[in-house]
Amino acid sequence: MTAHRTLTAAGISLAYGDRTIVDTLDLTVPAGKVTAIVGANACGKSTLLKAMARLLPPRAGQVLLDGKDIHRMPTKQVARDLGLLPQSPIAPEGIAVSDLVSRGRTPHHGPLARWTPADDKAVAEALEATDIVAIADRPVDELSGGQRQRVWIAMALAQQTDVLLLDEPTTFLDVSHQIDVLDLLTDLNRSRGTTIVMVLHDLNLAARYADHLVAMSAGRIFASGAPEQVLTAETVHEVFGLDSRVIPDPLTGRPLVLPIGRHHVPARLDGAVS
Amino acid sequence: MLVTSILVIAVAATYLVSLMVGQSFYSPAEVWGVITGQLVPGASFTVGELRLPRSTVGLLAGACFGIGGAVFQTMLRNPLASPDIIGINAGASAAAVVGIVFLSLDQTPVAILATVGALVTALSIYLLAFKDGGAGARFILIGIGVAAIFNSVVAYVLSRAAEWDLQAAMRWITGNLNGASWNEAVPLAVAVVIGVPVILWLSRDLELMRLGDDTAAALGVPVERRRVMLIIAAVTLLAFATAAAGPISFVAFLAGPIAARMLGPVGSPVLVAGLFGALLVLVADFVGQYLLGLRLPVGVVTGVLGAPYLIFLLIRSSRSGGTL
Repeated sequence: MTAHRTLTAAGISLAYGDRTIVDTLDLTVPAGKVTAIVGANACGKSTLLKAMARLLPPRAGQVLLDGKDIHRMPTKQVARDLGLLPQSPIAPEGIAVSDLVSRGRTPHHGPLARWTPADDKAVAEALEATDIVAIADRPVDELSGGQRQRVWIAMALAQQTDVLLLDEPTTFLDVSHQIDVLDLLTDLNRSRGTTIVMVLHDLNLAARYADHLVAMSAGRIFASGAPEQVLTAETVHEVFGLDSRVIPDPLTGRPLVLPIGRHHVPARLDGAVS
Repeated sequence: MLVTSILVIAVAATYLVSLMVGQSFYSPAEVWGVITGQLVPGASFTVGELRLPRSTVGLLAGACFGIGGAVFQTMLRNPLASPDIIGINAGASAAAVVGIVFLSLDQTPVAILATVGALVTALSIYLLAFKDGGAGARFILIGIGVAAIFNSVVAYVLSRAAEWDLQAAMRWITGNLNGASWNEAVPLAVAVVIGVPVILWLSRDLELMRLGDDTAAALGVPVERRRVMLIIAAVTLLAFATAAAGPISFVAFLAGPIAARMLGPVGSPVLVAGLFGALLVLVADFVGQYLLGLRLPVGVVTGVLGAPYLIFLLIRSSRSGGTL
């Protein structure tokens, strides 16, 4: 177990040019837990994650890592505590899996970097944890989407940060690979105590895998807390403009959202907010 | 390592051959005598005053073009992002011909003016393209437009040039090593000695930028700052090389992708691209001087080699869905 870093956003406003995306938002990420951020398209959830990862300087407010403003800390120092898996990372043509995963060690190297046994160990552990040892020598661009996502997660693992931010890590994956990736992140959280913050599209998977759920709407946090408290039919209506019924998941007891569209639902439910 | 060693040997061999072979032949011993400062009849002038500065300018300028090209192409993750395509060489040339024709400046002030011109061009494209966090494709498209503007500036200035300025100014259109002397070689060597170590120091971060700007930042690279530093260092090398030898076409454009292919996906292509650029210019100049029956400027030879490759890249990129 590592000493947990705390990550908070204090009154941050984020904008691209004149367009304000997030307006004076406060967020405390529970240390050592899995947090999922959900919300409609363009609600600012990815923008918020970018600011938390130091990629986007806020117009106002601060992002604090252990109480220090991350936009005033050296990039490299932040990179030792805070990992990020962007939505569409780019693999150089022909790069081998193990070479790509090794890049994760960069923040731990000084200006005259020497590859150390500790680096080897971290990379080996990352390959092991993501179950990609068998494909370590293959070129990344020949892999399937699910395998490729594992490789990128392995790179972030090799970075050995206390906090890991992921922007829609399950997008473009089929359902079995989505579960696969989320299980892997849960393993990581449980075995190493890594704090995980991810933007997710699928409400039901977010409710199942997150300890802490943040629902965003139009650049603000609409609700946050335990999935059972946050994910109600009212939240779904307010955040997504969608009618639904929310029932306890028969497998886990977590909330399960059943959307109500205009078709294929009994007439008495049509348009109801239950 | 192997690729680098082979290229070092090839560059050294070509350099030596270019010193030995010409209208008259001198042995390696005679060439060495000239380099170490002895008086060798005939060779002291032919090698010491003609071939040595010419080959040295060719070698250094080729290396600068190769390195500068690889920096831009790697940073923007696109082989079309070469400084000779996105208007940086054209910016240097425009500033230089204005200096020669309208301001009647000498070699060194012209070189400095060209450097300023290239830097202003590069930073303007950068500011226009990266206004909101930016994208590589926009950088290239803006750059192509800027290149067109500066090329017409060059054409206009030359149309107004007095006859005695024309020869000096013409060098800024086609890369040419004719008449290269120590006046060109020395400032270029100084720029190389200062600029190349800076770029090699930055090349580790440059390599991480191949993973995308967000991933590079997540791995601890201060992307914005590195990008500005890389642009300044690369543009300075390019401008000094252009000042010494003119914008030798397509060397920057060819060296990066070929270096990346030789090297594979791991490692920074900067050093290999520099060696390849040096080799390309030395060989092309040799071919242009002695093998074609008529003397052609080196830029014509590299242009003939580079143009088909540009067409190939454009066809390939339009097939793969039109993204640059």
